[in-house]
Amino acid sequence: MAPNAAFAIELAVFDQHREEWYRSHPGCFVAIQDGVIVDGFFETYAEAFNAGLRKFGVQRGFLVKQVWATEPVYLVS
Amino acid sequence: MAHVDLEWDPFRSGDPGPLIDVVVMNSQGVIEAGRAVGLEYPAPLKMKALLDSGASVTVISKRFAEYCRLFQTNEGSEISAIGAIHHCGEHAGSVSFPGTNLRSFDPIRIVSAVFAKERHYAILIGRDILRNWKITFDGRDRRIMIDD
Repeated sequence: MAPNAAFAIELAVFDQHREEWYRSHPGCFVAIQDGVIVDGFFETYAEAFNAGLRKFGVQRGFLVKQVWATEPVYLVS
Repeated sequence: MAHVDLEWDPFRSGDPGPLIDVVVMNSQGVIEAGRAVGLEYPAPLKMKALLDSGASVTVISKRFAEYCRLFQTNEGSEISAIGAIHHCGEHAGSVSFPGTNLRSFDPIRIVSAVFAKERHYAILIGRDILRNWKITFDGRDRRIMIDD
C-alpha cells in the first residue's frame, strides 16, 4: 500500500483489529475516524458509509473499509 | 422496469466502447449534511461513462473526482490495469443516468485513478453496477439494450 497521510491513523487502527475482525466478520465493512470505530459490522459499503455519516458528519473524512486478511487489488482490464 | 437502448458500433475505427451519459456527484446524505454546516458543492456535471465489464469496480478520473469534491473514504488502494499497479482513492458518491429511468446508486463506492490521455470518457462503469442490469448486445443492429 502507498504511503498515506490522509488516513494513516484510521488504517493503523484497522490493522490493529484486522485479524480479529477477519476471524469474526470476514468481508464485512467498518467505518473509522481517528481512533473511533463505528459500532457494528456492515454487510455493504453503503450501510457502513451511512453509519459513519451519522456518527461523524461531513466536516472531515472517515475510513470505510472491507475486512479482508490481505489488501484486495481492483482489476481493470 | 427501466429500459435503455444505446447505439454502439464496435466495428468503427477508434470506437472507445459502449458509452452512456452519467451524473456523478456526492451522496445526497453528504450534500444535505454538508449544506447544513455551510459547505458548498459544485453543480452536477454530466459526463460520458464506459460500460466496462472488465472493471471490477466503478472508476472515475481523479481530475473529475477532485472537481466533484467527492467525499473520500480511503486512500492508497490498488488497481491492476494492463499489468501495472496504480494507487487510487476511494470515495462515496452517487451515480445517476440522466435521460433514462435507470435507478441511481447512492451511496456507492467510486474509486479514483489517473486516466492517461483518455478523451472519450471520464468514468468506467464497473461490474459493481453492471451486475444489477440485464445487458444485451445486438451486433446486427449495433445496439446495446439495458434492462434494470
